[in-house]
Amino acid sequence: MRRRGVLIPYYVRGNSVVHRTPLWLKFLLVAACGLASFLIVDWLVSAVVLAIMCALFLLSGAGFKRLIRAVWLVTPLLAAVGAFQWWQLGGPVAARIVLNVLVCVVAASVLTATTPVQALLDGVVALSKPFRRFGADPERFALTIAIMLRSIPFIAGAFSDVRDSARARGLERNPRALVLPVFITTVAYARQTGDALAARGLGEAEDSPVD
Amino acid sequence: MGSIILNAVSVSVYEDEHSSPKALLQDVSLELTEQRIAVIGANGSGKSTLLRLLNGLVPPSQGTVTVDGADTVAEARKVRSQVGFVFTDPLSQLVMPTGREDVELSLRRSVKNRKERATRAESVLERFGLLPLADQSIYELSGGERQLLALAAVLAVNPAVLVLDEPSTLLDLRNRELLRRTLADLEQQIILSTHDLELALEAERVLVVDGGRIVFDGGASDAVEHYRALCSAVVEAPGPRNHPQNQVQAP
Repeated sequence: MRRRGVLIPYYVRGNSVVHRTPLWLKFLLVAACGLASFLIVDWLVSAVVLAIMCALFLLSGAGFKRLIRAVWLVTPLLAAVGAFQWWQLGGPVAARIVLNVLVCVVAASVLTATTPVQALLDGVVALSKPFRRFGADPERFALTIAIMLRSIPFIAGAFSDVRDSARARGLERNPRALVLPVFITTVAYARQTGDALAARGLGEAEDSPVD
Repeated sequence: MGSIILNAVSVSVYEDEHSSPKALLQDVSLELTEQRIAVIGANGSGKSTLLRLLNGLVPPSQGTVTVDGADTVAEARKVRSQVGFVFTDPLSQLVMPTGREDVELSLRRSVKNRKERATRAESVLERFGLLPLADQSIYELSGGERQLLALAAVLAVNPAVLVLDEPSTLLDLRNRELLRRTLADLEQQIILSTHDLELALEAERVLVVDGGRIVFDGGASDAVEHYRALCSAVVEAPGPRNHPQNQVQAP
């Protein structure tokens, strides 16, 4: 099987300032970047924020290659969005939108590259504890995040595999030959993952008694 | 550990709402107490369904399955804490990006302290010789390493029974040997399905499944002989593939 593409970088061991920054502060940074993408109206400000995020990523020691890999997969989508926005609203707006999305991607990458997944999950559990009074299960919240982190690169990889298969059969221009197998593969993967989680007793309600 | 009891179990599925149910397993009654049990049979014979019944992944349509007295449907959580399940393809089982994280995920329910969880995960990985690979992406591991990792992740919570669905099917000869030795050293009760008859011959008891029924239940060598005879009978029976008209004539 082909190695799956990685949209969000996995944890890179290290002892940089970014690694040592408390998790809540990194969560805050990602949330602030998400919020800023709605508030920033000047593309130059977006560019400066993006430069700061990239600097933080490189400061962590995760490396330039990982940074490029993290943004590479969204490039086709951003190119399409950017072109449409440029046509509709002009260059500055298109640049701002594209840069703001990149800010969010790099900020999320800083978080995942400098935080072990288990620490991230513990953080999600701690953050979602107040929702327990409304019936939410914090462990399920954390598991959902873990599954999401695992599934994004799988689906990206499935698309690459299907595209290669379609190309080998001369069907690379047939959208049905590309979309349908990815859809079927993804549904099968979801079922397998569900079975695997159930078999390991993960994701079951926290209050189910163990007799 | 007590025993696993299947009492008049049948499993059926409806392919669509208008069709009659298709039987995957029919009227199976067993008491599984031996330390090493193998299940052999052709593809689609019902082996996986039989194994999936044992930790509640598949509920019986009729009858009951109990593990040490606990019903696999009514007390699924208790059963799953006792019965670990290893799938054929470890990639469908490994949820986290690296081995260390996956083993730690297994321990999340039972060990709340993060440091203790990390220590426990490390000792499990060390036991299986996987510590040097603990931080590698699961996609960078070989098939055998992945299968061992899947096994380690399941054994991290120390189940009393280990169920393995065709664990050696995707492995090369070297990795099969590695898996065989690893399984031989485990103290858990092991129930596995396999096409590897050498692996089946090491079991104390072997079940032969055909068409959703247990057609033989006994010692390993007799069971393998029975299965071979069954396969020969199917291959030699007249059918579309074996019909004289469909056979290629020598030039």
